[in-house]
Amino acid sequence: MAPVIQIQNLTKKYGEFNAVDHLDLDIEEGEILGLLGPNGAGKTTTILMLATVIKPTDGTALVNGFDIRKQPEKVRGVLGVAFQEPKMLYVSTPWDVVNWHAKVCGLSTSERKLRVKEVLDAVQMWDARNKNVHALSGGMRKRVEMAKVLVQRPKVAIVDEPTAQIDIVGKHKIWNMLLELRDEGSTIILATNELYEADKLSDRVGILHKGKLLVCGTPKKLKDSILGGDIIDVELGQDASAEIIADLKSLKEVVDIMQVKSNSLRLYLNKVEEVVPRIMDLFTKKNVPIVSIRMSEPSLDDVFAHYTGLTIEEAQKDER
Amino acid sequence: MIERDVRLFFQYRFLIIMRAIWFVSQVLLFGLIAAQMVNVPDYFQYYVGGLSVMTLYSTAIFIGFDIYEEAEHGVFEYLLSLPVSRRELVIGRSIGGGLRAFIYVGPLVAISLFVIGAINPLSFVIALFALFLFSFGISGMSIAIAVLIKSSDRFDILMGVLDAFIVRLSTTMYPAYVIQQTNPLYGWTANINPLTFAANLFRWGTGLEKIIYIQNPLLPLLGIVAFFGLFSFLGIVIYERMIEGGGWR
Repeated sequence: MAPVIQIQNLTKKYGEFNAVDHLDLDIEEGEILGLLGPNGAGKTTTILMLATVIKPTDGTALVNGFDIRKQPEKVRGVLGVAFQEPKMLYVSTPWDVVNWHAKVCGLSTSERKLRVKEVLDAVQMWDARNKNVHALSGGMRKRVEMAKVLVQRPKVAIVDEPTAQIDIVGKHKIWNMLLELRDEGSTIILATNELYEADKLSDRVGILHKGKLLVCGTPKKLKDSILGGDIIDVELGQDASAEIIADLKSLKEVVDIMQVKSNSLRLYLNKVEEVVPRIMDLFTKKNVPIVSIRMSEPSLDDVFAHYTGLTIEEAQKDER
Repeated sequence: MIERDVRLFFQYRFLIIMRAIWFVSQVLLFGLIAAQMVNVPDYFQYYVGGLSVMTLYSTAIFIGFDIYEEAEHGVFEYLLSLPVSRRELVIGRSIGGGLRAFIYVGPLVAISLFVIGAINPLSFVIALFALFLFSFGISGMSIAIAVLIKSSDRFDILMGVLDAFIVRLSTTMYPAYVIQQTNPLYGWTANINPLTFAANLFRWGTGLEKIIYIQNPLLPLLGIVAFFGLFSFLGIVIYERMIEGGGWR
């Protein structure tokens, strides 16, 4: 079966700046694809092009077989978008927003009546349905934004940073809603800069950085792709010198070293059980005190760092 | 779209109340006082008819400010992502902007009718229809200018200037022959002004013919239809060019 979304050489330039740089990506029906990247990586621009809100400079995408350049109305017919910033006028109420959205998406009056209540209940906004949007917290507005997509149940749902600025309880609620939406048959593009969110929800993750897609695969495959399947984080009692880093690199089991802070190193290793005692010896010989040492499995953060050379926080600062 | 714009407008309660107070004070203060100064028969009734059209104009213009409000809250992107064509979007907004102005002015028109008095039902229906098209045309014009200018401050200033020309160079406040006597160029401009068409038709529909001397009501009616058609078309074209593809960003 053909992928439900085929992105082909999609490019968006603002002057000389490449917001999205020759993006190629296929998204299969019924999957959650996480687009992971710092702010400014090109996630939102990609989403806005897929939603036919902005036009690509070059390339195109097929959504459910419809070309975003040639058949934008048909594309919009199968898409639902929950934007990063909730898009609603402050004079509206949650009920107005969701009911109107359902109406524009073609739900009949009887269906709408049922569905709007059901969805506002699900996002726990039924009691606040008649409050002015202005009076809602950021998290509540975000849930109303999600409710628009839930009421629509589109074939392709795009959600842009759905849990930004939401507390942990709210995050879990929204994650469950997204999983339910996927289980009901929607394909979901989840744009996020939260690694845990991408890891927890996505069937596949694509890492975007500076407008380019660096890699795409299942979270497990991406983690396995990092050389040195074991990681240790070492916090030192002093700054790590260039000399000690060079000595560590000379050990053949040490695949890579990332200096997280001046006194904190992350080491990517093979054969951890053999090499850790030697690393400890090295620190002792060089009189470098160790404050803590912690072993972990690779995470998407490591995958991101592996492909960009930066942590996502550093990449975020870099974009600013 | 139409329903949304109408519903939204009636949530701006402060604006609605202030506009109504403005209308009533214009009638009871300016209208009554000016009628004492002016040597035009039935000027007070004449003025109230024109004032209704002026209020319709200024209310229909308000949709332009909605555009900026939406840009500020990012609602543009949402509207552009909806499963409706751009054409439906703009026409819906023009009609919504016009309709809500019409609904709002309804009670004020009722006050006007009470003040003006007699009506001929058929001509009144025709006049109402013309006002209907007029308010849609003004809405389309407002949308087109708003997306063209892309700055709420500039839009506000331009609308003030436009108001000074379009309202003052029309027969909303004074009869055509007075304008003509003042300056033939003013008179010529007033004769092709859509506000003149709307005000004259409204007065014709409400039976104030003795001041306006309409020989053929079809001409102002056609003028309004042309105005509506032109600005609906321009609204679509400009909206598509300026907004489509993220032109506003």
